[in-house]
Amino acid sequence: MPTRRRFLGALAAAGLAAGCGPQAPRGPGTTLVFKHGKLFGDPYVLRGLIDEFERAHPGVTVREETLPASSDEQYQFYAINLQAGSDAFDVLAVDIIWVAGFARAGWLRRFPDADKAPFFAGPVEAVTWRGAVYALPWFVDAGLLYYRKDLVKDPPATWARLVDISREASGPGMQGFLWQGKQYEGLVCNALEYLHSNGGAVLEGGRLVLDSRENREALGLMADLVHRYGVTPASVSTMTEEPSRHVFGQGRAVFLRNWPYAWRLFQAPASGVHGKVGVAELPRFPGGRSSPTLGGWQLAVNAASRHREAAAALVEFLTGEQAQKRLAIAYGFQPARVALYKDRELLAAQPFLGSLERVFATARPRPVTPQYVRVSQVLQADFSAAISGLETPQAALAHAQRRIGQILDAG
Amino acid sequence: MRAERERPWWYLAPAAALLGVVTAYPLGHVLWLSLEQRSVLDPAPPRFIGLDNYLRLAADERFWNALGNTLYFVVVSVGLELALGLAFALAVQRPFRGRALLYGIILLPWAVPTAVSARMWEWMYDSEIGVLNYLIGAQVNWLGSPAWALNAAILMDVWKSTPFVALLLVAGLQSIPRDLYHAAAVDGASRWTVLSRITLPLLAPMILVALIFRTIDAFRVFDSIYVLTGGGPANSTETLSIYAYKTLFQSLEFGYGSTLAVSVFACVAVVAGVYAFLLRRILR
Repeated sequence: MPTRRRFLGALAAAGLAAGCGPQAPRGPGTTLVFKHGKLFGDPYVLRGLIDEFERAHPGVTVREETLPASSDEQYQFYAINLQAGSDAFDVLAVDIIWVAGFARAGWLRRFPDADKAPFFAGPVEAVTWRGAVYALPWFVDAGLLYYRKDLVKDPPATWARLVDISREASGPGMQGFLWQGKQYEGLVCNALEYLHSNGGAVLEGGRLVLDSRENREALGLMADLVHRYGVTPASVSTMTEEPSRHVFGQGRAVFLRNWPYAWRLFQAPASGVHGKVGVAELPRFPGGRSSPTLGGWQLAVNAASRHREAAAALVEFLTGEQAQKRLAIAYGFQPARVALYKDRELLAAQPFLGSLERVFATARPRPVTPQYVRVSQVLQADFSAAISGLETPQAALAHAQRRIGQILDAG
Repeated sequence: MRAERERPWWYLAPAAALLGVVTAYPLGHVLWLSLEQRSVLDPAPPRFIGLDNYLRLAADERFWNALGNTLYFVVVSVGLELALGLAFALAVQRPFRGRALLYGIILLPWAVPTAVSARMWEWMYDSEIGVLNYLIGAQVNWLGSPAWALNAAILMDVWKSTPFVALLLVAGLQSIPRDLYHAAAVDGASRWTVLSRITLPLLAPMILVALIFRTIDAFRVFDSIYVLTGGGPANSTETLSIYAYKTLFQSLEFGYGSTLAVSVFACVAVVAGVYAFLLRRILR
């Protein structure tokens, strides 16, 4: 009996060793570890691209390692490991709001020769810190206005027009305009779209300009949508992306602000709004311009990596035109390279992308500061206070200006 | 004689070592961190800043808001849980058919994991499709209005934790000697006299035990509120634990976040100390 157990143990060990075989370093070869959140349903296409990279770089092996889906957990993982100088991973996928903080901390390798021109301006601004580029844009995301084609003839260009149409087209069982108003990161994304589309901002050239006339007017409109015009239900203060998509998807709202992912779900034959949905740029204030908030993922290289040059080559390859195109065709993600939005083959496979070029071209990043997470916590609470009617937009902005000023000063 | 007195220490040593590793060391470490300027994202190395973080705490309106929310949550939820738990325990004191089944049903909320029941309550509270608004026929924005949100979280906590209090008190009632009640009946005592002179005084230690557990738990409330509202709207449901979590695990400010965690610990320690004092006086 003991002999047999030992035999099985040896067998298992041999099996394990065999399983590890392809990942073990082969002679003088280099193994790159690529960390990213779970990005896609079927990893086959991404793996195929990586295989191609390996063939083009003999001796280099790439191992993918997936992180938990929660953005908070990914942020913790990266920050704690990078701070400790870990070289356990070489290439990492980073959310657009993390780049400045990681760059200031000195955790990311620079891309001194990066060609910024082929990318949209928004993501380039977000990956640049003190004049240097610290990550290359991979995929972009931005806010859109979904509307009911059967109820609305022309999508509104201004917020005032959106209010008018919402009032006419809504009624019992039909809400006017839904967005994300819960106290969380999504609320900041929503609110900045109003501020920016009125010429307002949070930071301007590093200066805090939150408490401005433009911002008061913009935040005032958000509160008015709920309390004065009644086109947005009070329950918006509990809404995140999915609940708002559900209500609109059941045909119970005229307008919805959401990200591009919702489009495909509305096109499903079983969807309650199948064939009735149009998309448009978000409205603006008179004299302002449509300013969707930018999201998305970038690829960066760990500054503590032992194979920084090979890692940078992998990042350049994966953010290159061919790679972005194939990933976009396979997964429907929105590439960060402008030229691809004119690519016939890609548009034939993903026709929806054609309508997004202008949206991404005008998309604005959230304030680019190493203190973004703390700044966002203040904005979330004060925007929430204004929208729930607890404070006037004026008081909320003055309060946020003071708190964020303290954070940036201590910074 | 002397050897006998020394020996118990040897038996206690493993437990003491274990407590030292899992309790005393982490606590000491958090206390130390709370005296440092330390943030993961800060390029400067951590440095000792004495009580600066505590001064920042004293001037931090968000801390006072969170403390106020926490105290309100504790007082109202524990008060309701005690009143309802006591009423239930007294009601089921006498044996009747189906009592075991009733115990089983009443314990269900306590058995469900908090994150799961919080998700369930989130749906029930939904102001558009939630069952609560359907039942009362109104449009209350339970989780979305600063006036309601904290109370909604309290209601869920009362639903979840009253069974725990009730069960403790049922056990306490059963330990009161029956003879006392027979004697009271012989003396012709009214029901009120029996309750105020026999039941409540003899139940007091158990009530205190229930209070200790519930108060400490309520002070650290995190998961239900995190799922229901995430601290909003307008920080109206942000408790100390939520604030500490956001500071430690979102902003990654380990220094100041530890200071917040120490403040939770200090509050709980004070509460536990008061209860321990009361318990000792009652039992004397």
